[in-house]
Amino acid sequence: MSITIFTATGCTRCKIVKGYMEAHQIEYVEKDMKAEGKDEFQSFYKANRNAVFRGADGIEFPIITDGKNIRQSIGAAIAYLHAGQKLEGYFSVGTLHKEWVDGIHLSGGNPEYGDELIQVLKYIKGNNMKLQIDTDGRNSQILERVIGENLADVLIMDVIAPLELYGQILEKEINTEEIVKSLSFITKFPEAKLQTSIRPVRRADGSISYLTPDEIADIAKLIQEGTGSNKCRYLLKLSKPQDSNDKELQKVAPLLSNQLFSYRNKARTFLVFAEIEK
Amino acid sequence: MAQTKVALEELNYDEQISYFPEHTWVRVKEDNITIGISDYAQDQLGDLIFVELPAVGDEFQRGETFGQAESAKTVSSLIMPISGKVTAVNEALEDAPDLLNRTPYQEGWIINIEAKDMTELKELLTLDQYKELLRNQA
Repeated sequence: MSITIFTATGCTRCKIVKGYMEAHQIEYVEKDMKAEGKDEFQSFYKANRNAVFRGADGIEFPIITDGKNIRQSIGAAIAYLHAGQKLEGYFSVGTLHKEWVDGIHLSGGNPEYGDELIQVLKYIKGNNMKLQIDTDGRNSQILERVIGENLADVLIMDVIAPLELYGQILEKEINTEEIVKSLSFITKFPEAKLQTSIRPVRRADGSISYLTPDEIADIAKLIQEGTGSNKCRYLLKLSKPQDSNDKELQKVAPLLSNQLFSYRNKARTFLVFAEIEK
Repeated sequence: MAQTKVALEELNYDEQISYFPEHTWVRVKEDNITIGISDYAQDQLGDLIFVELPAVGDEFQRGETFGQAESAKTVSSLIMPISGKVTAVNEALEDAPDLLNRTPYQEGWIINIEAKDMTELKELLTLDQYKELLRNQA
């Protein structure tokens, strides 16, 4: 495998990915987009503009390609170098800076490759990076290992809905016991944050409506029972329907922040520290 | 746009062109009307890696977006300084977007147009007015 890695001058994450390739004898060519690789990066960007993610702070580096596939960000790049496409779904381009790495989704990939995922996380963390890891409760065994091996610096669990709606929202069959197990594991982690986005949901009858305050109460109850505590930090967030992949959901008008008060009041029945995201 | 990166007096200007507050410029030479971005604009954007150009024949009103300039750090809309129909695009920018960085008033021109309303030219800024605008934005 011969890799081209596009880097930015002084980019620490780029150095870590290059270090991985050197340690594993993977041949690579580096193109610094601000120096000798400027022209090559221009050509690459022109040809692959739709495949390159651009966040609020611009393009995240490094970007690697083997001529067939492109991977962007430290996590996605090392995952691809380490395990090919087995770790698809576990990593995305994050938004945090400096030593913090996010865009790590424990529920996003195939649990059969949990060992490979743990190895990648260990490598990144072993290079003095801090990991912000998220889960929606699926792949609870991997969450248990991440906590047990002290790999996360921040853990966020997005409890996306009452158990009976999980499959409806994710559009796949869900083993809800996984969600309950994850709630019990996550309390062992001191920096855990639990949250729910108040999102529009396509109901079983085909209609679309926001999660209701009563459904948020059901989630809060689930968390209380799952964690055995009514003092978990629990955050209610506004969702952005326009960011949904579902065109019908995109048309739903966003909620106003003051509409979340009734949700918070319901949640506090079971979780006394429930708050609205500021 | 963000705070200037190079001192305003270090930027290049062209006295033979008129400026638009959104940092595009217009040059009228005989029947030819050319549009580009100012040195200030390219400096704010940083090293450009892609320029999205309109097609010949596209029509735009003054103030409308006619293209997009992209650097690694940011994406900026290109704003029409006067209304008109595109008669030519600088195809060299497709392979060398950094022409906009290196020579924004010459080889880095972006489009030629046929103006819809020549009186709009009178509403553009002179060099002194544009410099004043930049000083006020700094």
